[in-house]
Amino acid sequence: MKKIYILCVDDEPEVLLAVEQNIADLEDTFPILTAESTAEARTLAKQITSEGNQLGLVLCDHVMPGENGVDFLIELDKEDAFNNTRKVLVTGQAGLDATVKAVNEGRLNHYIAKPWKAEDLVAIAKDQLTQFVIRSKMNPLPYMMCLDAEKLAEYIRTDGSVTDR
Amino acid sequence: MNFINKKTISVALGIAGLLLPQFIGFEGLEPAGQLALGIFLMAGIFWICEPIPIFATSLLIILLQVFLLSEKGLFAGSLLESGYTPQSYKDFYGTMASPIIILFLGGFSLAASAVKFGLDRTLTRFLLKPFGSKPQFVCLGLMVSTAVLSAFMSNTATTAMMITVVLPIIAQLKEGDPFKKVVALSIPIGANIGGIATPIGTPPNAIALAALRGQGIDIAFSTWMMLAVPLVVIMLILAWRILLFLFPPATDEFKIQLDAKINTSPAAIISYIVFGLTVILWVTEKLHGISSSVIAFLPIAALPALSVLDKKDIRGFSWEVLWLVAGGISLGLSLQHTGLASWIIDQVNWSSLGSLGLLIVFGLVAYGVANLISNTVSATILVPLAVGLGVSGAAGADFNMGISIVTIGVVVSLSMILPISTPPNAIAMSTSVIESKDMAKAGIVVGVFGFLITLGFSLLYWPLFIK
Repeated sequence: MKKIYILCVDDEPEVLLAVEQNIADLEDTFPILTAESTAEARTLAKQITSEGNQLGLVLCDHVMPGENGVDFLIELDKEDAFNNTRKVLVTGQAGLDATVKAVNEGRLNHYIAKPWKAEDLVAIAKDQLTQFVIRSKMNPLPYMMCLDAEKLAEYIRTDGSVTDR
Repeated sequence: MNFINKKTISVALGIAGLLLPQFIGFEGLEPAGQLALGIFLMAGIFWICEPIPIFATSLLIILLQVFLLSEKGLFAGSLLESGYTPQSYKDFYGTMASPIIILFLGGFSLAASAVKFGLDRTLTRFLLKPFGSKPQFVCLGLMVSTAVLSAFMSNTATTAMMITVVLPIIAQLKEGDPFKKVVALSIPIGANIGGIATPIGTPPNAIALAALRGQGIDIAFSTWMMLAVPLVVIMLILAWRILLFLFPPATDEFKIQLDAKINTSPAAIISYIVFGLTVILWVTEKLHGISSSVIAFLPIAALPALSVLDKKDIRGFSWEVLWLVAGGISLGLSLQHTGLASWIIDQVNWSSLGSLGLLIVFGLVAYGVANLISNTVSATILVPLAVGLGVSGAAGADFNMGISIVTIGVVVSLSMILPISTPPNAIAMSTSVIESKDMAKAGIVVGVFGFLITLGFSLLYWPLFIK
């Protein structure tokens, strides 16, 4: 089965660790990768798709040495393989302009302001991954236990993605 | 890439199965039978190991039949020389437009319009209301509502809808209350059992009905319901008591939100009318004499004509389920026509089992297999053998072929031990309040009782309808 990955990008290792710990419960179903720069993130993203898997969610910081998070997300969105990937900014420093740019040009799905609450981050990650499963028209059964079961059940009801057999 | 994995091994096995009869040349089987056996073996292996989706296997069957066994096929000449008259390729293609498939298509149209306008949800609220707020009756209400809906819609879609109804109930209950398990299990059990109630309830019914029709036994929509509904009612009550016994609730009262809002847009009203009218015409088939497959075209044509369903809705039908069934029916044709079914039957001395023993063996195998693989496939593999047994006369004069077919069709729906047994079971696991062992416990008890009751029906009640 194709795996759905979560990719966390932040130049501060301790922030990455915090994010990873917050969403650790998801890791059994959605393997988590971390990158300390957008260059590293890009390599990992390519690697995920080249292995036949999918990138479901990117949790990305904005201000980092080298390329910033918003530009990375915009560029990611242009590639077909990452078109459905859910893009979330986790930042305290993205100004209005950068954020607007991310929304308009990178189809940003969510903005999380630092500092965040662990339960909020988990809820947002689950919601975004639920949307990813639905929009990618995947079989929702393997993900129902971990994600929003009600939304995925509704998706089965209306979309016939699972049928009698 | 590692090329030796479960998938490639299954594919290799399937192809080996397809070619095996050509190399071994089984004794007593005509060339057409050898070809059919190859197709049967390949289909069986593919259906069980699932290297490709089960409906894709059904499509392959039709392809192979058209190329290998039909009058326009590669071997038409040599088959004729061997004394076998190949079937028309139209017979194989025609399975997709057979009356039972059209009946299902009618059901799909109704279900699609019901989902589109939320009729399934409204009906649930309406059906649940009389059951009040006492836990044990809420449980019965959930099972009855699920069963009623799944009798006309797919078991899976019904379960998905009901899960959205019960998740808030589960969230409301205290941590560790066994009633959570009762609620979560009542849905798949209700859906699996409810599918038995009407011909369109679940695909295995189609396999059984098509086989009966092939043997000249025409069962009206209402006749099937008379056969099945009493069984469904008994099973529901029994399963209800079993669930409450296994997981006694700790709460004695709780709130259940039932805001029954009816969609009253013109399109919705039309869909309700078409739904009601079709169902009424189906269940009164005996009174007016118009076949249910004829009536089925009413919703198929009327709903798009009245702009209730659009092209997107029609694309959204579960066409792969229809192909799955069509391929199954098509395989059955060749099993009978080439004499393969009788040949398989001849390999065993059945008369020593007696007619009751035969029924039990078929029932047990169907039940066991359906717990592990698709219910439709289980019925598809076993029903032609029951037909072969009846036609060849190997089972003795008191073997009732018709009843054995219905029995197979029913017991596959009673298989619900594992999360993989049926899609409703898999969906119910997503509530995270049941473990596999809870499901197994309930599934085994319901299955054992269900099997015995079905056996009772096939000995005492069904002979009143199927001679």
